[in-house]
Amino acid sequence: MAAIEVEELTRTYRSRKGVFRRTTTVVEALKGISFEVERGELFGLLGPNGAGKTTTIKILTTLLLPSSGSARVLGFDPAREAQKVRGRIGYVFGGERGLYDRLSAIHNLQYFADLYRVPSADKRRRIAELVELVGLTGRERERVETYSRGMRQRLHIARGLLHDPEILFLDEPTIGLDPIGAREIRETIAGLRQAGKTILLTTHYMFEADALCGRLAVIAGGAFVATGTPADLKAAVADRTIVEIETFGVPEATIDRLRSVVGVTRVAVEARDQAQVVLVQSATGAELVPSLLRELEGSAVGKVVTREPTLEDAYVELVGSA
Amino acid sequence: MIRAFFSGIRIHVLQFTKNPFDVSGVLLWPILYASIAYYLLDAKNDPSLLLSASLGAAVMLMWSLVVIGSSGALEHQRWQGTLELLVAAPVPFAAVIAPITIASGVVGAYALLATLAWGTLFFEVPLAIEQPLAFVVAIPACVLAIGMLGLIMAATFVFYRAAFALGIAMQYPVWIAAGLLVPLSVLPDWVGPVSWFLAPTWGFRAIQEAALGRTPWPDIAMCLLLSAIYLVAATACLRGFERLARRNGTLQLT
Repeated sequence: MAAIEVEELTRTYRSRKGVFRRTTTVVEALKGISFEVERGELFGLLGPNGAGKTTTIKILTTLLLPSSGSARVLGFDPAREAQKVRGRIGYVFGGERGLYDRLSAIHNLQYFADLYRVPSADKRRRIAELVELVGLTGRERERVETYSRGMRQRLHIARGLLHDPEILFLDEPTIGLDPIGAREIRETIAGLRQAGKTILLTTHYMFEADALCGRLAVIAGGAFVATGTPADLKAAVADRTIVEIETFGVPEATIDRLRSVVGVTRVAVEARDQAQVVLVQSATGAELVPSLLRELEGSAVGKVVTREPTLEDAYVELVGSA
Repeated sequence: MIRAFFSGIRIHVLQFTKNPFDVSGVLLWPILYASIAYYLLDAKNDPSLLLSASLGAAVMLMWSLVVIGSSGALEHQRWQGTLELLVAAPVPFAAVIAPITIASGVVGAYALLATLAWGTLFFEVPLAIEQPLAFVVAIPACVLAIGMLGLIMAATFVFYRAAFALGIAMQYPVWIAAGLLVPLSVLPDWVGPVSWFLAPTWGFRAIQEAALGRTPWPDIAMCLLLSAIYLVAATACLRGFERLARRNGTLQLT
């Protein structure tokens, strides 16, 4: 039996506005997704904001009911057998929220240990182990409101692991962290995977998914656009070459002209500091550079680099064509 | 579950004491409520009413602290993202939410005693308790009953995002219908039966009867009976509202 089984899961949100002329807005957050996560696997859900990642995690962690479809977590239905699921899973989300800021880390952990039925005899030892695991030793008696974002995130992970859950749901655990903080969290996650935990991770950082996940699914607009290993996803664009052109203040009309150059399959623009980096996918690569530069005449152009596609390019391709 | 319950009370009282704004409010409100008893209810012209009016004001404050404290605490939990984590805990939801209202009740018990103390200090309220044992029993019975009524309210606070505003609105009807603000005898007859279902009515009477040396024990028994009824009703409401919140996706603000 797989640790997580999801079949044709849908979720629709309805929101109403107005007092006299009430209008109802309907948003289809999930449009029938299906997947399985095996025990001990680290499965990634990748997608842009609003793609349906958090909705999926909330349904699986019993916080949201699906509109239709079914899910099983360790054999239990999170909609109907919520209590059975809750004791067996840990849920950690990213960001500043989810902790009692005025209290110390120890007080937070003691409270959640009681809520998650950690035996009294084990509580102190378990908390000490986790404080050490997430690198908060020496700071655990300070108020959480004095913690950096990275420290809070590590405390979140400690909270999620208090009852030694079989499955850990990590919803964008590195969001908003500085590079060092994010790297520390990734190291912690990699350690948990090595320890045999089943982990469902959502992220929109491609390198993170590439480094951590055994398998992943790309979700966009509430539907899966691809599933497989990171290598499988990269293979989808393996026949392409990426030309990165650093530009400054290029108008949209020029970008459109690049799209019409023969051989170009996709053009995306990324903002990096003051520059716009134009990412051009094609099957021909370097041969195309003179044609591209001709279209950019009159614009300020910096570095031009030709490279192999990364998982991020595969992601852009998949999400962009969804 | 019992450990989670007591741990919850501890953590919520701790959380409350770490906020200077909340603490200063609880220090100042008893003076305000003692003043209400003395001036607004005009008890100063009738010394026999002075203790009753002070007790009424004290129970008013206790109810306010429970309903505002629990609604404010739940709204704060929603803002700080802990409400979802409380719902996701494997212990029954009532055992997670009840400590919030009981913790507010504990703060309310302190405020009750402080209101009486300020009344004695500033307004010469005669603090002669005729039945000290019954008085000491009546206070926790009143805290429990009011806390459990707060628990029913908390069920709605879990569902509605504007919990705090709802909590403030719930103060006044109970003040009036429980006979705390004015005696029930001056209100229309139909208010009487309504008051029987409200814990503050019996909590106030229990404390008052103990203080005046009458028969507090039936009122204390009513507090306990109502607490049990409220607990059953609140558990059902919490289960229903939790499911509604999961269906409608209202457990968080974002």
